[in-house]
Amino acid sequence: MMQTIAIFVAAYRELSARRLFWLALAITLVVVALFACLGINETGVSFLGRTFENPVFNTVTTSPETFYKQLFVTLGVEWWLGLISTLLALVTTCGIVPDLVAPGSIDLLLAKPISRARLFLTKYATGLLFAALQVFVFSAASFVVIGIRGGAWELSLFTAVPIVTIFYSFLFSICALVGVITRSSVASLILTLLAWAVIFTLNFSESMVSGGRIANDLEGKAIEAALANTENPPDEEASEELLSDLERVKEHAPNWKSVHQWLYATKTCLPKTTDTLGLLDRWLIDSSAMPERAEESTRGLRRSFGSRRVKGSSLDKAIRDEQDSHSVWWVLGTSLLFEACVLALATLIFSRRDY
Amino acid sequence: MTSLEPLICAADDFAVDLTDVRKTYGRKICALQGVNLQVRSGEIFGLLGPNGAGKSTLVKIMMTIVRADRAHGKVLNRSVGDPVALARIGYLPEHHRFPTYLTGRQVVEFSGAMSNVNRPTRKKRASELLDRVGMGGWKDRPLSSYSKGMRQRTGLAAALVNDPQLVVLDEPTDGVDPVGRREIRDLLVGFRDEGRTVLLNSHLLSEIETVCSRVAIMVQGRMVAQGTIDELTASSRRYEIVVEGPAPAWCHECATIQMIPAGQLLAAGVMQESTRLIFLGIDAQRAQPILDRLRSELRTVVAVQTVRESLEDLFMRAVTDPTTGLIFRPGAAT
Repeated sequence: MMQTIAIFVAAYRELSARRLFWLALAITLVVVALFACLGINETGVSFLGRTFENPVFNTVTTSPETFYKQLFVTLGVEWWLGLISTLLALVTTCGIVPDLVAPGSIDLLLAKPISRARLFLTKYATGLLFAALQVFVFSAASFVVIGIRGGAWELSLFTAVPIVTIFYSFLFSICALVGVITRSSVASLILTLLAWAVIFTLNFSESMVSGGRIANDLEGKAIEAALANTENPPDEEASEELLSDLERVKEHAPNWKSVHQWLYATKTCLPKTTDTLGLLDRWLIDSSAMPERAEESTRGLRRSFGSRRVKGSSLDKAIRDEQDSHSVWWVLGTSLLFEACVLALATLIFSRRDY
Repeated sequence: MTSLEPLICAADDFAVDLTDVRKTYGRKICALQGVNLQVRSGEIFGLLGPNGAGKSTLVKIMMTIVRADRAHGKVLNRSVGDPVALARIGYLPEHHRFPTYLTGRQVVEFSGAMSNVNRPTRKKRASELLDRVGMGGWKDRPLSSYSKGMRQRTGLAAALVNDPQLVVLDEPTDGVDPVGRREIRDLLVGFRDEGRTVLLNSHLLSEIETVCSRVAIMVQGRMVAQGTIDELTASSRRYEIVVEGPAPAWCHECATIQMIPAGQLLAAGVMQESTRLIFLGIDAQRAQPILDRLRSELRTVVAVQTVRESLEDLFMRAVTDPTTGLIFRPGAAT
């Protein structure tokens, strides 16, 4: 325990010695300050006292509490913590493992009575310290802002700390593995960003294909319902068009399903970065309290899926239900399993290597 | 002792007692080819060898930084890599890299914590040790402001924070000025006087000769000599008689006498011709008839002295191929 504490204290000293650490924390507080400058009133959204009319977001359709929580999840977590802050964290911490295995540095640690595996995993855990600290500062500041401006002292905001740290740990495990193999901070950073891009693309592709499959299914059901409508039956020309569309929908259905199955299976093996952050959306935002989206807002999406007879809100709901149907075990469990495999490989390489 | 054969000591109180240590990097580079190393408790032991001889690999194997293909024996009566033994060893690697954002005190305290030294003890020892190595006035400044020599001193303090029985130092005076070297040598003697065993890996032969009671010489992954400096240089002990003028004619007929012309400067520009007569062997009795004969011939004997090989001579002999007379090429055997 003494050694673990010593490594964590040294890691904190190392982080605090880096300017980027303080810069990232300062930017985090600036982001929360901007967040606090946003407000909501009867007509729309305000920023520094100036109101921008918005038919969707106003106190008539949305409570201030829901507005701020939504801002916290979408802008704060998904954009700030999930992207910009994660990039900053990766840049700051990508050198931790290469520095650990650097000649002259590793000798001093391996000569101590501590197992290599424990040394490596403790050092890895210290890398997560940065992400956790950053998210904690952001969540604590947001807690105060939402409490004062939204009137809700929502302790559940702090669930962002473990969730975002876990999200970061998926990427940092890859960074640690590359660091052990290459002993280079630059290579660790570049290859981690590349892996992140691949994972993101796969996650995005899966969600798009899933959306397309759902839209296709809903389109088929809508056509069948129209054909079966006895009260207002379609005329002959419309029936022919419906039958033709139904045939096309049925023809596309196996393709959607097959492509989605492949993507889903691949995604299952990899970390689910988007879905992990999506858990916060699921847990923090009561979707029934959210304002109904206007039809126009989803028209582009519906068109892209080729669905002409499905309401945008229905499609959104179906897609959301599909996403929510993914169990926490599937989202976190399989991702953590991937991380465990990557870490096990990195630990094995670290433990068996001569320095 | 007429050759540089490996010597296995018979004493049973060893701080380090390793036999048949082997290490091959990849499939070709044989860094260690069955090395034996015995370091007695309470002595300062010098490990010598040219670059790539395997000294650092041997030390790193002891410290579990490198894994041996094969290694038998004990370190502090425990198997190699035993955590209990590691907690009782102080180690300063050659090109150590302490974090430069830490202060000297933090470096020593961190080293202590990693060796499971409790907080009050390591705090107390950190202050004492930094004072002892002459870093008392710098203990709360970051390492980034230290010179190379100051970092070496801090590293020495860090190596001692766990009150080790065995101190392993790899080139401890590297980058240190002559005054600092002298101080570090005094520290090493101090460690020995406290009952600690010191294993010193150094290229500086004079340093080793000054402080080490026993030495070992490694060449191309093999231990070619091991023992006290007296033991290793005994075979080279000889008498030298310097006489004025050319060598006596009868000396040319005696196989045990070597003759080297030497000059003696008497005054500016005036050289006195003299000859150095070298008698191999250490028996003083055998030199007496020679001296008697020289006196009877009224030759002036300028000097009579016992001479033995220096550590440098011994080292050079060890790293020279006896069959070709050439220096072994640097690096490990392939």
